[in-house]
Amino acid sequence: MAPKARKTGEPLEAEETLQAVIIADSYEDRFLPFTLERPRCLLTLANMPLIEYTCEWLASVGVEEVFVCSGNHTDQVETYLNNSRWTKDTSPFSVEVVRSTEPSVGDAMRDLDQKGLMKGDFICIYGDVIANIPFDAALKAHRARREKSKNAIMTMVLREAGDYHRTKDQHHRRCFVIDPETDRCIHYEQVRPRTSPRLNIPEEVLKDHVEIDMREDLIDCGIDIYTLDALAQWSDSFDWKLPRQDFVHGVLQDFETFGRTIHTHIISEGYAARVNTLRAFDAATQDVVSRWAFPYCPDTNILGDQSYQLQKGNVYKEDGVVLARSSTVSHGSVLGKATSIGEGSVITNSVIGRRCVIGRRVEIENAYIWDDARVGDDTVIETAVIANEASVGKKCHVKRGALVSYGVRIANGVTVEENTRITRFKRKRGYDNDEVCQGVTDSKVVGEGGEGFRLELDEDEEDMHEAMLAGTQEMNITTDGDDISDFESGDEEDEYAHSREPTSRSGSFTSIASDESGETKRDHAKFHREASDSIFDGLQREQDPDHIQLELQAQRLTENAEDNQIRRAVAVAFSRRIANLIEGGRTAKEAVATAILPNQRLIKACVKEASEQAEFLLFLQTDSVHRAQGSKVLLHVAFVLAGEDMVDGDGLEMWWEDPRSVATEELKKVRAETKPVVDQMAGESEDDDEDEEEDDDDE
Amino acid sequence: MPSSVVGQTPSLTTFLKSLKQNDIENSIELFISLLKRRQIKNSRPCAIATTHLLLRVVAEPKRKWDAQKLIARVRHVGRRLIAAQPREMAVGNIVRRVLGVIREVAERDEDPLTDSEISGSASPITGEFQRPALPTRFSEFSPLHGAAAMPHNMHSGRPGTADSMAMEFGGTPQRPALLSTNASYAGQGPPGTSLFSILQHPQGRSPMATPPPGTQSPVTGPSPSRRAIAGEIPEKLDIKAEVIDGIKELQDELDVVDNQIAESALDHIHSNEIILTHTSSQTVQKFLLTDARKRKFTLFHAEAYPNNHEATHATILNGAQGEDDSDERWKPLTSLGITVILIPDTAVFALMSRINKVILAPHAVLANGSLIAAAGASTIALAAKTHHVPVVVLSGVYKLSPVYPFDTDELIEYGDPSKVVPFEEAEFTDKVDIVNPLYDWVDCDLVDLYITNLGGHAPSYLYRIVADHYRMEDIDLNAKQDAVVKKG
Repeated sequence: MAPKARKTGEPLEAEETLQAVIIADSYEDRFLPFTLERPRCLLTLANMPLIEYTCEWLASVGVEEVFVCSGNHTDQVETYLNNSRWTKDTSPFSVEVVRSTEPSVGDAMRDLDQKGLMKGDFICIYGDVIANIPFDAALKAHRARREKSKNAIMTMVLREAGDYHRTKDQHHRRCFVIDPETDRCIHYEQVRPRTSPRLNIPEEVLKDHVEIDMREDLIDCGIDIYTLDALAQWSDSFDWKLPRQDFVHGVLQDFETFGRTIHTHIISEGYAARVNTLRAFDAATQDVVSRWAFPYCPDTNILGDQSYQLQKGNVYKEDGVVLARSSTVSHGSVLGKATSIGEGSVITNSVIGRRCVIGRRVEIENAYIWDDARVGDDTVIETAVIANEASVGKKCHVKRGALVSYGVRIANGVTVEENTRITRFKRKRGYDNDEVCQGVTDSKVVGEGGEGFRLELDEDEEDMHEAMLAGTQEMNITTDGDDISDFESGDEEDEYAHSREPTSRSGSFTSIASDESGETKRDHAKFHREASDSIFDGLQREQDPDHIQLELQAQRLTENAEDNQIRRAVAVAFSRRIANLIEGGRTAKEAVATAILPNQRLIKACVKEASEQAEFLLFLQTDSVHRAQGSKVLLHVAFVLAGEDMVDGDGLEMWWEDPRSVATEELKKVRAETKPVVDQMAGESEDDDEDEEEDDDDE
Repeated sequence: MPSSVVGQTPSLTTFLKSLKQNDIENSIELFISLLKRRQIKNSRPCAIATTHLLLRVVAEPKRKWDAQKLIARVRHVGRRLIAAQPREMAVGNIVRRVLGVIREVAERDEDPLTDSEISGSASPITGEFQRPALPTRFSEFSPLHGAAAMPHNMHSGRPGTADSMAMEFGGTPQRPALLSTNASYAGQGPPGTSLFSILQHPQGRSPMATPPPGTQSPVTGPSPSRRAIAGEIPEKLDIKAEVIDGIKELQDELDVVDNQIAESALDHIHSNEIILTHTSSQTVQKFLLTDARKRKFTLFHAEAYPNNHEATHATILNGAQGEDDSDERWKPLTSLGITVILIPDTAVFALMSRINKVILAPHAVLANGSLIAAAGASTIALAAKTHHVPVVVLSGVYKLSPVYPFDTDELIEYGDPSKVVPFEEAEFTDKVDIVNPLYDWVDCDLVDLYITNLGGHAPSYLYRIVADHYRMEDIDLNAKQDAVVKKG
């Protein structure tokens, strides 16, 4: 047994220090609108910032050096850490904030690798993990494996959680195929929501392993033990973004070539969970309040200035809480310092921050009210989040799933509908980075004299869409329905899969034509993202197509982009816009018409020749694959494009015959419905388009 | 044994090792966070860690302590430690014991001077400094147990009574020092036993205790001179060294406490008795082992599910492995030919009629003779009461706390419910509240005998031991340090 090396003293003997990387940036928008103004890791869960839980756990396993990778809101993270006990002399580990502007976990990892900060095996953890699991065993097992084989490059720590568990990601089912003998993860797949639970297990896997476990009952708590080799892997594959879908999947696929293995460590005691969705936020809060995460419960008073006391029924009160005699605080509630609750108010299963003022006869159930919020008399708040300094007027009704962001004021007598996200700020997509700017108050939403507006999720409307569907599925399962599940959405892996899939897929398409080096490919990805965002933004705001065109041109010049990239960006932007409209309640046909017809010039500008048209369609098709009603949209788009002469018969035919458009099963499926249009157009390309009217009726 | 080189989970062992390298503030913070994370838990590890930490605090290099500064410093550290985990009462106990040591050293240093300076005057007498007069404390303690938690209010609340009470009790012969552990400090000053001085003793105590504001204490007069003396003392006497010796003795006490308790085993357990015990307490095991060498008895061992059953099973099977805090090892009872029967906690009542004696190990013992012990102890004690089976509690003095249990609920810690229902049982976590209390509170009338390292005591006698070990002024560490402020 070696003595522990101290952070201050020189390392004894030839010891390594245990290092950890906290990925503080979520690179995603699950917590909009809150994450507009604050990084996710500083959101409070049971009145303590999430990153504190993570740091506590790291300290409890004896980590001595921590690097915090942060992209968004780095300043806030840094300020917070600088004022916290983690940067004091007495901190059990040293903390360094690594700034990176790149927008994914993969980029952050590559950044780390470049800087060469890591000295040996390290723990990689998200800034939103709550855990109390013992870690010695995992580390020991990992080291033992490393001793045996240098190819065991990573260990994932997974928590058993049974079939259905509130803390487990419900609709993103992660399947791990594990060889129980070596704990090796031999296949990883994420079963997409709303698809049949089918795994594509490679044949070799079945051949090579005598025994395999297929497990879907694991909470992926986002705690991994990396080796330097694993970090190098990230660098080798510049387009990997997500630790699971890209990294794990990629490494496993390359097993034949490189022989690198990824292992799992499955724990069956202790608590570990990621707060990566609002639903997880809800579940984790309940877990913390009902002491599953012991000792990380409010009454442990982990932060020096806390003074929570546990009372019967898991009610935690801090010093200086003022309760009116006739108020009731029941079951699973947490009340912060100097909060006052008026006469006749009933608080159930809710977390209320510090210095909140709750009026009289207020009913609050399953709600999360953060510091300094105010709630007026006779208001009812159901499962909702009211952020810092927000105020809700008298006689209001905040319905299930509403999110009221920082500083929003809701006037008296307003009903906040279910799943509304109200904020004062919105994100403006810029070329280089997003700006957050103040939005215009919408008095329809917040009432006269209120402040704030309804946030429409411009960025990942697709995601939202999916979330809603998933939400309804969820509701069927949980009949009691007290979860914030409606706006629950997938996790970043999935989201990124969305925005990424076209990237990589068309990336591979373009690479057929041109030999791109990795560097340019990366540039292209960046250009694509920015361009499609800005086009989409323009479409969304129904700007003049010339204007959008101009903007696009400017971007193109700065990035020195090629034509096919522009086509791709345009295609993706339209596809998103259409999906957005569909989600807004339009039918596919209407949506296509609304999106495309006023903006014909935009498409015409980039699509001239038949080959270009074919490519454009291909991009559209690729993008439609993962959209709701994708095949229908594609049909209508093809129809409209043909009808308005943006695409001619040759183009359609070329597209149809292109081997790339039938490259996968999904692609085939999505284009199946479009067949009649193509047949017709291809056949009658000379005849002009007389029969289109009836064709339309057919649909 | 952990073979890993890096990233050892912090524990008592790593804490003690790190003490040597870390500076003091780091060590304090580390201990606080270990307490909060429950990585150091239970009375003995807490007590050991606290003594080591306080030793470091006192021995802080480049600091010259005078008594008051040292007291203030230790109090400050103590408050932080107690706030970190108020339910580990051993921490507070040790802090108070150390404060007592410091005060004693300070007084010892002061006494000769005082004597020479104001001999014959109505000055306090050294004997009272030495061992704060019990009768007075008795008077403050017994009628109102509550005084334990707020002695200062009590004191200042009724300035007159302290005097009159003291007069009343003044005549009672002072008890000889009954402490073995503290004996080393006792008897070093000249015993002052003149009748006059005895009558004067309430004032005599006042330099160390809070002077009652209302009382015309003669000492408040000469206090300036006293202060001057106090200032000189550090030069003359090495308070630091003395206190360090005192703390080391405390550490020794912690080391031998189990053996001392075990010494009386033969007086309590007789041949062919049937004993019931609970949890995997080291103290109890040693006690039983000592007896088992001479006699045969039968042991029923309640397994203390769900928080301690694994440790209990291991103890029954293997004895101590020497893994934890000490390198001590011992054989399991079964290897000495003792019949050990493991029973679930629920079977206790059914078996109680066959049992001759219940032996419990507490987590903490409170001033009024009640105790906090692992969950299940209350059931056992009640069952024993019903069957008129004597309950014997084995407890080191370090577990004895001057805290009076006003709210017994507050003293009980609630742990991780996954011990009761596994986390995987999603239905449970969603629909049922699961509660896992770690401790039980057992009232004093359910206990028949306490065996400490000082010997056996009735629960009603514990207040005396409390009074002997803790200074009135240290009982509430959060109270304003009037005395200290005035003096220092």
